[in-house]
Amino acid sequence: MAEKKCSCGCCCNSGKTKEYNVSGDEKQCTLADLPVGTKATIVKIMPQARGSKKFADVGIVPGSELLIEAHAPFGGLIRVKVMETSMAIHKDEAANIVMEEDSNIITEKDKD
Amino acid sequence: MKNSYRIALAGNPNCGKTTIFNALTGARQHVGNYPGVTVESKSGKFVLNGAEIELIDLPGVYSLSSSSPEEEVVFDELTKPGIDLIINVVDSTIPQRSLYLTTQLAELHIPMLLAFNMADDAEKKGLKYDFAKLEKYFGSPIVQTVGCKSSGVQNLLKRLASTLEELDDHGVPMLTYGADIDDAIKAVSDKIDELNLDICKFIPSRFYAIKLLEHDSSAMKIKALEPVQEEVTCQIKHLLDKHAIKAETFMADCRYAMLAGACRDTISRTGEKRREISDKIDMVMTNKFLGFPLFLLIMYVTFWFTFTCADPLMGYIEEFFGWLGELVKGVWAEEKLPYLRSMVTDGIIGGVGGVIVFLPNILFLFFAIAILEESGYMSRAAFVMDGIMRKFGLQGKSFVPLVLGFGCTVPAIMATRTIESQRDRTVTIMVLPLMSCGARLPIYALIIPAFFAEKYQAFTMWGIYVIGIVIALIAARIMKATLFKGDGEVYLMELPPYRMPTFQSLMLHMWDRGKMYLQKAGTIILATSIILYICNTFPQKKTFEKDYGKLIEQVQNGKSLTDAQIKILEDGKIISGEVLASARESKALPQEFLDGLAENKVKLTPEQQSVIDAAQTLNDDVAALENEQAAEEMEYTISGRIGKVLEPIFRPLGFDWKIATATIGALAAKEVFVSQMGILYAEGEADEKSVTLREKLVKRYTPLQAFCVMLFCLLSIPCLATLAIIRRELNSWKMTFIEGAGLFLLAYIVTLVVYQVGTILKIGTNLIG
Repeated sequence: MAEKKCSCGCCCNSGKTKEYNVSGDEKQCTLADLPVGTKATIVKIMPQARGSKKFADVGIVPGSELLIEAHAPFGGLIRVKVMETSMAIHKDEAANIVMEEDSNIITEKDKD
Repeated sequence: MKNSYRIALAGNPNCGKTTIFNALTGARQHVGNYPGVTVESKSGKFVLNGAEIELIDLPGVYSLSSSSPEEEVVFDELTKPGIDLIINVVDSTIPQRSLYLTTQLAELHIPMLLAFNMADDAEKKGLKYDFAKLEKYFGSPIVQTVGCKSSGVQNLLKRLASTLEELDDHGVPMLTYGADIDDAIKAVSDKIDELNLDICKFIPSRFYAIKLLEHDSSAMKIKALEPVQEEVTCQIKHLLDKHAIKAETFMADCRYAMLAGACRDTISRTGEKRREISDKIDMVMTNKFLGFPLFLLIMYVTFWFTFTCADPLMGYIEEFFGWLGELVKGVWAEEKLPYLRSMVTDGIIGGVGGVIVFLPNILFLFFAIAILEESGYMSRAAFVMDGIMRKFGLQGKSFVPLVLGFGCTVPAIMATRTIESQRDRTVTIMVLPLMSCGARLPIYALIIPAFFAEKYQAFTMWGIYVIGIVIALIAARIMKATLFKGDGEVYLMELPPYRMPTFQSLMLHMWDRGKMYLQKAGTIILATSIILYICNTFPQKKTFEKDYGKLIEQVQNGKSLTDAQIKILEDGKIISGEVLASARESKALPQEFLDGLAENKVKLTPEQQSVIDAAQTLNDDVAALENEQAAEEMEYTISGRIGKVLEPIFRPLGFDWKIATATIGALAAKEVFVSQMGILYAEGEADEKSVTLREKLVKRYTPLQAFCVMLFCLLSIPCLATLAIIRRELNSWKMTFIEGAGLFLLAYIVTLVVYQVGTILKIGTNLIG
């Protein structure tokens, strides 16, 4: 997996114009921005997020680690692995989940 | 031991709970519905060491949070008195996630038995459990099971028996949430205790206190708990202010933390964490580029499988009903109750048989779909299709029901229950009848080969299906933009690992759905067959405008074959034996014989040909008179009268009164159309392969009219059973009425436009015959 990093050291999909969906906090980006194959940890869930309780019940809580497994062919859904289970969530909701990439993990795991 | 127990089976979705349920109860299941919500309730019975056990299969949930109808059902069911034991099925390959529900079940303080399912997979994955420690932690016995193998369930039964004996001294411990939260819980539960409520006799007040602090809607709905609401608000505010804790999700956090601790002590992983096979398959299946083509391929294979396998069986069933009809006719003398006799043979056996013929098709389709569902592919299909479906105001989960709709609309509507968002579900249900169901197939099969050249037949068939799909998608889009605006529910869908489905569960799944189709045949189709028979037969016309008997006699006398003519055929060895004998007696040749000659292209001399022609003219003239008489009789009946009244309404669509009555009959069930047309054209036992009915249609109607008939049948409501199920699933008479009337209007308008435009442009307006 190519490791591209933007200046902030986070995981934003670099290459084109950088986009930050998180206002006032430039060190992180949201689940909606992460490329496939990244492993990242949830930092916080924005207060305006809908369904936070539902997400909490499947393990999408601050501190848990996610693996971005796939993006749906026609957009919209993101497939993430959380606590060893694959879950599909919608981009709109993913945009309210603030993430921080753990770069150590990705290099270690992607060697094998 | 008592002599009867009520046991609830609880667990996450996809934890193998239903497999265990099936293995324990076998076919002794009762499938019903929880009142008011569209969640299936399943219960079954079995006997263990002499005690009768009622096992309730609760819907799979991640939590007891009432954030979905399923969770509400589980909440209600478990807080009701009378549950002696909860069997909590835990997917032991993913302990941390599965045990999350267990922590909440423990708070109910109902005795529990933990079934660590899929023990074989967990072992393969390198997971080792310290069960002694875990049993202590949850205060509940633990048993390892392998749901898909009967030996795995034996362990469960053994352990269940011993658990039931020691039911009284169970010790489910209190799990703590840390000092701050525990204080808040204590404060609220003390207040609840002061109220001295009935509900707290079975369930500790602490459970309700936790749920109230979590803002759980089910708990907040309980009237008796209202007095403590003030205290709850105060405690939530206190937690938020002093400790910056948002109670709603913080509880979840704490539970995960507790579990992490528990798992660290009790579970060890050996071997490296390799990528599972399931994930490898998904690299391809949900791939951005390959996902969609693969999906199309799988759908194609599904339909191919369905039709190829069902075809021979359909033939047998058709033969069986033909044989049955003849048998009844043979046993039942014609003089005895002649109307009842023909109603039973032509009306009921014909009508119900015509529907049951499609049972193999329906069953095979459901079998194929059960494979897709149980293997886990369906959720991948939903994932792949979500993007496209959303553009039309639907979503990925709408997709499966829409595919089922090609089989039969009734179970397809049942299948929309997986859609959590009520809005999306309603839209999906509303457009589902536009998916061309199996019952419409006979109509196309009758009309298309008659009116369209062979090279266009497949295309026309495909076109009809596509028209249905396109109109459904447009309708969904319009409904989403007008009636059902705004954001739907939060979307969350699990993609469970691929699993090999067990044969038993596939059969049960198939049967659950196929049963509905059979029920429809036994009730609605039976009733409409009888009603239509009566409408088509009564009142009987006694005096006719012409004396048909005399006219037929005149024709027969005037045009009958001479002995010389018969001799010509006899000499040419064209006729012999029985046919010859009957020809000599009746001075005519049977029509089947003439058809046979034409079909086999028997070479004839000019002389012989002229005799055959003469015989044919005679038969034609007699048949014309007989048909005229039948038509006059028909017009006199209730059907004919209704048709005549409706004719002005249907005329602009290109329908005459015969098609109008058949179409009205088809509103009850689409299968009726073909048999009704058959009766109207006095074609004894008509099925879709009836060539003579086709010939008659070709002589009477233009291809444009025929196309309009198919269009109308495609767009109007498939059957009354569909309306009944819509009423049940949407729980609204208003929506049901809107659906029925709306589809009728849609069908009317579209057909009207097509017919009128077609007529002006002169497309397909020439008679073929």
